Amino acid sequence: MARIGRRGFGALALAGAASGLAAPRVARGQATTIKFGFTAALTGPFNEFGEGIRRGAEIAVEEANKAGGVNGRRVELAEVLDDQLVPDRAVQNMRRILDNREIVGLMAPSGSGPTLAIVDMVQADGRPIINPQAQTPTIVYPNGPDRPPRPNVFSVAISNTVESEKLAAALAGFRNIGILHESTGYGVTGAQLVRAEIQAKRRDARITVESYNQRAQDMTAQLVRVQRAGAEALLVIGLGADFAVIRRTMSRLNMNPALFGTAGAVTVPYIEGAGDLVVGTRAASHASLGRRPMAASAQRFVDLYRAKYGTDRWYGPDPANPLISLAATVGSGYDCINLLIDAIRRAGSTEPAAIIGALEATRDFPGVTSAAISFTPQEHTSLKVGDLGMYEMVKRDGRVVLELRD
Amino acid sequence: MDDFFFSLVLAGISVGSVYALIALGLNLTFWTTRTLNFGQGSLMMLCAVLTVFLSSQGLAMMLAVIGSLLVVAALGMFVERFAIRPALAAGGGSMGWVVSTLGFGIVLQGVAAKYFGSQAMAFPEVLFTAQDYVTVFGQHVSLQYLVVLALSVSLILLLELFVRKTVWGQAVHAVSHDPELALVQGIPVRLIVLGSFIASSLLAGVAGILSAQIGGTVDPAFGFDLVLLGFVAGVLGGMGTSLGALAGGLAVGLISKLVGGYISTAAEHAIAFALLMAMLALRPQGLLGRPEVSKA
Repeated sequence: MARIGRRGFGALALAGAASGLAAPRVARGQATTIKFGFTAALTGPFNEFGEGIRRGAEIAVEEANKAGGVNGRRVELAEVLDDQLVPDRAVQNMRRILDNREIVGLMAPSGSGPTLAIVDMVQADGRPIINPQAQTPTIVYPNGPDRPPRPNVFSVAISNTVESEKLAAALAGFRNIGILHESTGYGVTGAQLVRAEIQAKRRDARITVESYNQRAQDMTAQLVRVQRAGAEALLVIGLGADFAVIRRTMSRLNMNPALFGTAGAVTVPYIEGAGDLVVGTRAASHASLGRRPMAASAQRFVDLYRAKYGTDRWYGPDPANPLISLAATVGSGYDCINLLIDAIRRAGSTEPAAIIGALEATRDFPGVTSAAISFTPQEHTSLKVGDLGMYEMVKRDGRVVLELRD
Repeated sequence: MDDFFFSLVLAGISVGSVYALIALGLNLTFWTTRTLNFGQGSLMMLCAVLTVFLSSQGLAMMLAVIGSLLVVAALGMFVERFAIRPALAAGGGSMGWVVSTLGFGIVLQGVAAKYFGSQAMAFPEVLFTAQDYVTVFGQHVSLQYLVVLALSVSLILLLELFVRKTVWGQAVHAVSHDPELALVQGIPVRLIVLGSFIASSLLAGVAGILSAQIGGTVDPAFGFDLVLLGFVAGVLGGMGTSLGALAGGLAVGLISKLVGGYISTAAEHAIAFALLMAMLALRPQGLLGRPEVSKA
């Protein structure tokens, strides 16, 4: 057995005293840090979105700390947990985050399922949360769009309401329309809203609606039903990998309607999975990264991302033209954290009521998802129809790119 | 012929032939050991993922496919040695192999996610593209569907011929009927069991490549649903017969597509499991299987 001599005891005593003196300093240091937390799909098949918002949040925090922090305090992502887009796991993670009383601001998970699962507990807790990506409108407005929002829940995501308005404007040019949607909350709500919008614009519209389960390997039955109905245009509401399966099946069935997709559908997995077949696909997505010149706030974000991560899967291969989906996958996370930081700076406090009050007073904040983000006590969603663009996939210099059409 | 009906039938027999390949893979190990490898789905996934990986490294497509199949064959040996044999050695009608093969599949998924990422990756066009087609009686017929059908049916018929017409095939039959007696008669039972797992894994690999080509993407969770439907096909056709696997696969594919097309797409998969329950209740030996008789 090792023996500790008198000198050893002395050294231990000194070390103990030193650590005792140092401990309060460390604790005070931690207390002065402004802490944020979130759960997202950091791994798993949908990590394109969760890892995306993590990167966005990280860039926002680094940028804030480089500029001297917020009211003299550093900013920190204290709790970043992985839920793989599984609602149960998101609930467990959010419970752990909420148990940490030092967390002053939250970001919602990267999808409607987990966000709907956690939103009631976050509302009961009262701390502010901003939703980067989940599109279901009831996340912010549980009792309908004309009723008050949840007091502490804000959103910079493209809501189904806004997206359906944009898509319906384009789809109303056709009389016979097919809608193929995934069987999630996002897909079902999206299909209902688009259908209602089209019917409001065009009474004689004939709409065929079919659904599929995420990651289905064959969707022939759904597509031949749409084909049989004589659809001149088809809208797919879902994610990119499923959209690729649908597009390839359409080709095998010799189906050639005008093809539309949602912002979540026209992502990298769609382009990689369907190859050149994607050419001609039209989709509504953030207009910010498609405009030239970009707004200063969008350009700054793009430059920061490229400097940190380079031209990777999220950014795309062309340094001058980042993927349009970068705004939704990464930019939305960047905006959420920046909005929280801005609100804390203006409020001069990290108390939930003060932050929420400041968030509701946000006016024309320059972001990535929108060049002018505003909230009011009644309006907790920032994105408007004008913030979306209608894109068309075209092939240029051997690569598929999205060109802003409207 | 009605375009709508024809499209459903073509898609049904094409995906049904993939179910048949999976069912045959499950059948092979059932013949020799009375066990099923529930890790088949992960072997399908791994074979497709490795094909993507190897071809992205500059390997010719056929070499990539062969390389992936070799890896999957080796994993079949691994399953037999480390997931099946110890569970059977435990004796007493142990069902440990269900857990061990499922566990093996989950581990493979994790390994694939770790090394290849969990995102869906694009699967290259191995034979023909989604745009290639021929016209038959005025109908647009996808060549990819035809290749899947032709390859699957050929493999199944070849295996049936092998089992019926070769000495080794007779040995497989002998092991299937009574492994102890087969051993006494000098048949290399262990080799045949090992061979059945290798062949089963190779069939899973081929099924993985064929179905990934239809979908266009593959990710670590790929294959699990397909194995369930392959299992339904195997039970429907009758465990223990190649032609039963083919009949079961085609029946599941056709019926599910026709129900999806004419009734509701929501019922497409449900009908497969309804058929499974009906078959187990009314004819447990399946369409072409023989009832098992146990002598005391």
